Amino acid sequence: MMKLLDISKKYGEITHKYPFEPYKVSDNFRGKPAYIFDLCIGCAACGIACPSNAITVQFNDDKSKLVWEFDCGRCIFCGRCDEVCPTGAIKLSEEFELAVKFDKSALIQRGELDTQYCTTCNKPFSAKRLVKYSFECLSKANVSEKRLEEAKNYLCMCPTCKKTATVATFTSGKEMVIE
Amino acid sequence: MKTYEIPNEIELANTLEQKLELLKQIGRSFSVFRIDCGSCNGCEIEIFAAITPLWDPERFGFKLVANPRHADILLCTGPVTRQMYYPLLRAYEATPDPKIVVALGACGVTGGIFYDAYSVLSGIDKIIPVDAYIPGCPPHPASIIYGLTTALGVLEQKLQKVSFEEEGDLPPLVEDSVLGNTLFERDLLVQAKRLMSYVFGRKLFDKYIKALVQSGNTKDPKATKVSITEAIQTEEDPRYAECMGILHNEIYTQYVLCEEEDKIDLHRVIWGAK
Ligand code: SF4
Ligand code: SF4
Ligand code: SF4
Repeated sequence: MMKLLDISKKYGEITHKYPFEPYKVSDNFRGKPAYIFDLCIGCAACGIACPSNAITVQFNDDKSKLVWEFDCGRCIFCGRCDEVCPTGAIKLSEEFELAVKFDKSALIQRGELDTQYCTTCNKPFSAKRLVKYSFECLSKANVSEKRLEEAKNYLCMCPTCKKTATVATFTSGKEMVIE
Repeated sequence: MKTYEIPNEIELANTLEQKLELLKQIGRSFSVFRIDCGSCNGCEIEIFAAITPLWDPERFGFKLVANPRHADILLCTGPVTRQMYYPLLRAYEATPDPKIVVALGACGVTGGIFYDAYSVLSGIDKIIPVDAYIPGCPPHPASIIYGLTTALGVLEQKLQKVSFEEEGDLPPLVEDSVLGNTLFERDLLVQAKRLMSYVFGRKLFDKYIKALVQSGNTKDPKATKVSITEAIQTEEDPRYAECMGILHNEIYTQYVLCEEEDKIDLHRVIWGAK
């Protein structure tokens, strides 16, 4: 008995005061992925990387918006979305207080992005921001003016129309910018 | 798909008012029965971590019991495999009314990583009504304590549904390249992540770029060699130090014309490690 008291004296009080005092998680703790809507370009890289499909990126019913949706209840905090996101719009935070009562929809985060329609066939195929971002990348990547001008056109086309347009320019013998 | 109809008397004895009344009564002492519905045991380990002296939930009366008939709260983990379907129902029906059901872990809340597996029903709330959800895979002991105290009304719930519907302006996202060629940054980041994973890879990338810019002329292999070597020598963490050298030798030399002597010797003794 005395021995036990000695041991407890040696180690002192180790119980965390939480929840009556805030608890500081350790470094590099993987908490809830924090979403910064203003940075998201709707590229869906996170949706593809997410192993448990906690993130989905899909068009809404009338295809006027590209809806990014994250269900915290399904997230396994692996950090793959953080790894692949090109703009840092989703980053694991240190938030661990995630429990909700009665209503599960409190776990959901969503963002609606404007749709980019194909300039040729008017089919929705991507988010406007993604096109803008791609152009921004290209304009900083040392490509010639002429090629940039060309990019402006083909960035706004859906993959099928892009293919047709490329074949059409090739076969009609139009000049192509090849670097 | 509803697989289980809750018997009338259980439903009548489990209205919201009765549950809130129960919560008020059990405020300082409640018994928890834990059901493992096919969990991977990660959640169990965290529950047992949460009842150690380090967290000591008996401060607010949390007690694990061995029988659902003694329980006030059912703590369910796992995505509900077909084998655990009936045992879960038996435990649910055996618990005295009114009862609180807590779904723990990503699996318990929605099925988590197993949500579309053939042998699971993905989530406790597909079968029985759930009152509190504690996400996490597995949840940190602090998250479990938070979840239970939130359910008891000691703490407030923090999460709310967030929905952004209007697009704002996109801030400029692409920075100018330090070498005038964004492919350099791209290759550098890819290699940095390959060497040190994404979290530390980004830090490595920032450190390297900072050292490169400090040289004054990023296109001069002599000047950059000096500044990178200096950064390596002052770096505390030997991992960053060596990886900065590797980045310089492998990526920088591809974009700027370099002689063999412009490469950095990676042997630690030469750059004077402590
Ligand atoms: S942390 Fe993993 S599971 Fe969670 S949203 Fe990101 S990729 Fe998906
Ligand atoms: S920008 Fe990031 S958060 Fe947005 S869709 Fe792409 S990967 Fe996901
Ligand atoms: S939530 Fe994660 S740790 Fe818990 S049972 Fe499921 S897979 Fe295992």
